[in-house]
Amino acid sequence: MVDAVPLTPSSRVAWWRVGLALPPLAFLAVFFAWPVAAIVARGLRPDGQWDLSALGEVVTDPVIRRVAWFTLWQAVLSTVACVVVGLPGAALFARYRFAGKRFLWSALLVPFVLPTVVVGVAMLGVIGPNGVAPVDLSGTIWAILAAHVFFNYAVVVRTVGGLWSTLDPRVEEAARTLGASPWRAFREVTWPLLRPAVAAASSIVFLFTFTSFGVVLILGGIRQRTLEVEIYDQTARFLHLDVAAALALVQLVAVVAVLAWFSRTQQRRAVVLGQRRAVEVQQRPSGWRARTFLAANLVFMAVLLGLPLGVLVARSFSTPQGWGLANYQALDNARRGSTSFVPPLDAVANSLLFAAAATVVAVVLGGCAAWAIAGGRSAPSGRWARWTDTALMVPLGTSAVTVGFGFFVAFDQAPLDLRSSLWLVPLAHAVVAMPFVVRLLVPALRSVDPALREAASVLGASPWRVWHEVDLPVVTRAAAAAAGFAFAVSLGEFGATVFLSRPARPTLPIAIYRALGRPGAANFGQAMALAVVLMALTVVVILGIDRLRPAGASEF
Amino acid sequence: MNHLHHPRTTSPKRRHTAVLAAVGLVLALVAGACGTGTTDDTTKGSAVLGPAVSQGTLPRFPDGTKVRVVTHDSFSVSDDVLRQFTDQTGIEVQLIASGDAVAEVSKAILTKGNPEGDVLYGIDENMLSAAFAAQLFQPYQAQGLQNVAAAYQVDPQHRVTPIDHGDVCVNYDRSWFTEKGLPLPTTFADLVQPALAGKLVVEDPSSSSPGLAFLLGTIASLGGGDDPEPTAAWLQYWQQLKANGVKVADSWETAYNVDFSGSAGKGDRPLVVSYASSPPSEVTDPATPPEQAPTGVVAGTCYRQTEFAGVLTGAQNPDAAKAFIEFMLTLPFQEDAPGQMYVFPVNGQAQLPEAWVTYTTPVDKPLSIPYEQVGANRDRWIQQWSTLFR
Repeated sequence: MVDAVPLTPSSRVAWWRVGLALPPLAFLAVFFAWPVAAIVARGLRPDGQWDLSALGEVVTDPVIRRVAWFTLWQAVLSTVACVVVGLPGAALFARYRFAGKRFLWSALLVPFVLPTVVVGVAMLGVIGPNGVAPVDLSGTIWAILAAHVFFNYAVVVRTVGGLWSTLDPRVEEAARTLGASPWRAFREVTWPLLRPAVAAASSIVFLFTFTSFGVVLILGGIRQRTLEVEIYDQTARFLHLDVAAALALVQLVAVVAVLAWFSRTQQRRAVVLGQRRAVEVQQRPSGWRARTFLAANLVFMAVLLGLPLGVLVARSFSTPQGWGLANYQALDNARRGSTSFVPPLDAVANSLLFAAAATVVAVVLGGCAAWAIAGGRSAPSGRWARWTDTALMVPLGTSAVTVGFGFFVAFDQAPLDLRSSLWLVPLAHAVVAMPFVVRLLVPALRSVDPALREAASVLGASPWRVWHEVDLPVVTRAAAAAAGFAFAVSLGEFGATVFLSRPARPTLPIAIYRALGRPGAANFGQAMALAVVLMALTVVVILGIDRLRPAGASEF
Repeated sequence: MNHLHHPRTTSPKRRHTAVLAAVGLVLALVAGACGTGTTDDTTKGSAVLGPAVSQGTLPRFPDGTKVRVVTHDSFSVSDDVLRQFTDQTGIEVQLIASGDAVAEVSKAILTKGNPEGDVLYGIDENMLSAAFAAQLFQPYQAQGLQNVAAAYQVDPQHRVTPIDHGDVCVNYDRSWFTEKGLPLPTTFADLVQPALAGKLVVEDPSSSSPGLAFLLGTIASLGGGDDPEPTAAWLQYWQQLKANGVKVADSWETAYNVDFSGSAGKGDRPLVVSYASSPPSEVTDPATPPEQAPTGVVAGTCYRQTEFAGVLTGAQNPDAAKAFIEFMLTLPFQEDAPGQMYVFPVNGQAQLPEAWVTYTTPVDKPLSIPYEQVGANRDRWIQQWSTLFR
């Protein structure tokens, strides 16, 4: 194939891009593919002989089929629900200016970092048997859906809203002037332009909900089980590695199939448009329509995000002696002098340290990958780019216990005996965070007019200079959003790290679990207080990251 | 706040004010936590540093000797107590938290022969068969066993050494029963009476250790463990529980913190599967101690779980591992364990903390099933249970 392509400047650039994709792919191969292959091989090749009987049993088992079907449809339904409620939110942030907007944009990510047990407490405080809401939804699919929307609302709003804010509203206005109804103008003008971002967001939401574990366990009751739960039980509790490996393969096939489908959708290239600075297109809501739209969105966010988070805040200030700061005061001294004690400042520092390391790794490697993918539109590199894109997403759709146990099997010999290494934690986080970076950067990069790059090239600019002068200014907003997500993923990540052995460097989520694992009002209150510290930390850091934007890049 | 979103009037200084205010909030929260005294320490430490410290001499190792201890996530020991071990032996301890008790052993079996540590603590009867089959441990008969009742020493080959035990019991919310004027339950049979419909929350035995212990308790008490049919006596009891509206939570954390009415979560169920050691923790104000704890245990439902430690096969430093096992049987560690891990010591000479003497009920006749039987039948029992509840 290579020989068939004439050696034009553009094809040289393409191969340079392939080189760019190598570091992220190598990273993925070592820290994801190898461990997963190792644990799957341990299950399906127990004595050096392939034994695929477990695979046959799993595929034909009616219970597993039911679990797989439930896993799929709840994920599809959750994704649709997130997109449907997220789009108005995205429109709000893209088109309007209002008080508290910047804070809200950052605060959206708070649910994303909270440990699932804490979210379980929060959600049950609203829709549970004794909740604030007048209905008890626990044990139903509605509770799972509500929690999935709670977790993933920010993914849709921030991903789609980011792209939306760069679209020139005059295009839609032109359609309106020509007589289109608002709905028609949206459907035929705005929606096609947004589609790459919607595809990116929904593929991420789908993978998160497809591998949902804690939420399903806590809110769904025992009848509703996902493949992820099944894999956890078979691996960690029963050590039936053959069954677990077969289930992991089933999960992998499903994930790759869905990703391939999404990737084709995203492939329809983003329409290249002259981009506008957000400040030029955003207005204060005027007129009753706009005001109602704003109010409805804010009420929705208050109910969806505010209520459950409010429950947590209230509980953190609630003590057996009434309201007060006792839970916060106890954080620093209640268990001092024991090995399980976590000084709160240390937990904050550890969390920030791991998250910063993971973010740097994810943004650098994910950035390389995104640029390689975005540039590769012409065959054969188009197909190649699509598969790179899909490969980078697979970790999000893989069971945390498969990866976690895989590390144990793969990295147990010198020179790579990393089992107790501190590095494992940020590296595992980076594997999970990288897909976010890619998904947010690719649509942004694709919206850059290639003619600009070519013009710069022709005029003698080096690839670095082209990137710096043409691409960088456009992608900074997407890059900041991506960094925010990467940071949040790492700050709250618990799934993979819980299976890694941890020397004494506990993060905030681990401190929260330790407190919740002990009986008594004092421990419960401290867990809630730690959760509030985590929430506040998230808002502060994300506010900071959202500001990391060079002058000239658009305000949000 | 409007000015924040009007770019032309937003000076850099103003922008930073918002960030600074938020940073300040976090710092204030944490600083508030740091500000108060450490009054709790003295009460916690008093049981630890008794005259018994000198009892039992441990061998001295060369400086720089290290022992790596693989534990479950609930492991905890006072810094002072751990330091005594290092002072006496010269051994530096590295603790490696490795997931819950089941995941910890599963991982150890996966990496057998090339273990992460020298000694593993926290395995209970439920995983012993699997661990022995995988030859996870090397035998060691600890000197300290002379103070441990024979009932805890389940392995004649001493591949594992008993360290502590916990009893999984149904806990009740005393005030709910007082308000309703109902008698406190004492047996399994009491839990299925109509007056208690929809009042019990248990944990899923396939995902939770106390959940599994409660399931084993029903089998030990009601029989039918050999019966693979749905008519097995213990399964019939579970059918009654189901008909009476039992709720199955995923984990102890959810059941106790969210569903149970006697804890801080203020749920709507006054009965929960927890531990015999939970009630003292519900005494919220030690300054004015009540006569009885706000929660108590249903004595007839208590199932005993023993936690063991063992020297891992392939340990880099088996002698240091053995010294650590001896240390875990000495009084300082044994008397520290209740306050740190909510477990009872196996050393018959160890004293319980004062609050435990007041607020726990000794379990005279705990239920139990020999580990060989658990190992042989556990998967089938969970399977049988699952067909009823899934």
